[in-house]
Amino acid sequence: MTRRITNHKILGSFEVDLVTFYWNGLELHGHRGESLTAALLANDIRTLRLHEKDGSPRGLYCNIGHCSECRVTIDGKKNQRACLNTVKEGMKIESQSMLPNLTEGGRNDA
Amino acid sequence: MLDTIIIGAGPAGLAAASTLKGDRSVMVIDEYTQAGGRLLGQLYEEGRGKWWNGLEIAERMYKEIEDEVQVKLNTSVINIEKDTHFTIHTTDGIFTSNHLIVATGAREKSTPLPGWDLPGVMTVGAAQVLTNFQRVSPGEQGVIIGINPLSMVISLELGYADIPVKKICMPVANALNYQKPGDAFETLVSLGGLAPSRMIFYGSRTLEQLPKVQEFLLKAFPKRGIRAMGLPISIKEQVIRINGTDKVESVTVQKTNADGEPIEDTEKDISCDFVCLSDGLAPLSEICSLLNMKHVYIKSLGGYVPLHSRYMETEIDGLYVAGNITGIENAKIAIMQGRLAASQILGDTAAAEEYLKKINDERQNAKVRFHPDLVNGKEKLQSSWTDFSHSLN
Repeated sequence: MTRRITNHKILGSFEVDLVTFYWNGLELHGHRGESLTAALLANDIRTLRLHEKDGSPRGLYCNIGHCSECRVTIDGKKNQRACLNTVKEGMKIESQSMLPNLTEGGRNDA
Repeated sequence: MLDTIIIGAGPAGLAAASTLKGDRSVMVIDEYTQAGGRLLGQLYEEGRGKWWNGLEIAERMYKEIEDEVQVKLNTSVINIEKDTHFTIHTTDGIFTSNHLIVATGAREKSTPLPGWDLPGVMTVGAAQVLTNFQRVSPGEQGVIIGINPLSMVISLELGYADIPVKKICMPVANALNYQKPGDAFETLVSLGGLAPSRMIFYGSRTLEQLPKVQEFLLKAFPKRGIRAMGLPISIKEQVIRINGTDKVESVTVQKTNADGEPIEDTEKDISCDFVCLSDGLAPLSEICSLLNMKHVYIKSLGGYVPLHSRYMETEIDGLYVAGNITGIENAKIAIMQGRLAASQILGDTAAAEEYLKKINDERQNAKVRFHPDLVNGKEKLQSSWTDFSHSLN
């Protein structure tokens, strides 16, 4: 399980300002203005997408927009970096998954 | 047309904007949702009870400029052109300016090892942003792989938020990871004021001059690691893989000798639900590469940096650099570099000299030194710049 750090011995405390959003149709709550990576992790969701090629699970990695590992679909718009987008009331976020294999003979094909 | 566009709203970019505001029309562009760059999340004790709180500093710096400077957040720069002026293509429009300050900062280098793509594995910087800025714990208990100034500071920060770190140790040696226990020991020594033990703290500045003493201490460093400042530091243990099916469940560690060679039958699993990888920082210079600018590789600065003078000038007239793109250092230096670059644009040579002096003073007194050989690296860069300038005449 993960948790919010609402009390911090140096940074002090804050109150969560809840907004409702949807993850693959599931109703969840986030803190207004926080990134989607933070909102999803606070709900104990670590797998943000399945790899396009082999379907292996991937999560947030750099959390500041450099690595693009956290790509999700936001309100129908694909390949958005979850770490650079903030959670908004009613937002619909969906995970992306394996693509159909249209080509054969690639280097990694078994 | 603007006078100056600044790419990056971190400490360097915000400081440059603050120096230029009022005199010049300025726009700051950043892809993040909030101004501050990697100030957002920084937290360390500068002196007894005196904290460097990056979030507060970022908010203060932003407030200072918000009325007079256009700050475009959530906006990525996708291309740059230069003829008589600069044309900046972004995800939210095209803008032109007479001057450009590139203050894009740094990226975290990665330490590939088996299992590093599992959900729950992240960079130490990601854990820092989660913990201190977003205030969501990266997990219940973690393992940090990689011993360098950044990973040490962030391990302390996880402690301030009561997030247990079970081990800070080395990555398995492979073609891409070549850090040895000796390098990690040097890091502990170079931490100076933040050194994790009294012995290293008091000896840190003199130890650097005494390689024989260092060699002895490295050999004597216990294989099970030491517990210092609440951190379990182990320079003679390496993580050989990260385990889990859909997410991190454990890491497998193995003991090594002082040269980093593995010792057989010492493998053991440590359970954890998050792992931070850390291989230090590298200057982020793609923007300069778009203009085909010359770069110089200097290890002690973190890698390739755009060729520039100590006054932040580059080979392109009107284009300046500031902050970690010029080499990995702390935010105080980035701030003064931003002000220095802005002073150059204003033609204020007296101010430029003053910031240059402040930068040199801060380098001598820095609490966290990212590389022991930094000053030599800066000299090497300046001599490359001098050679380049001469070649033009």
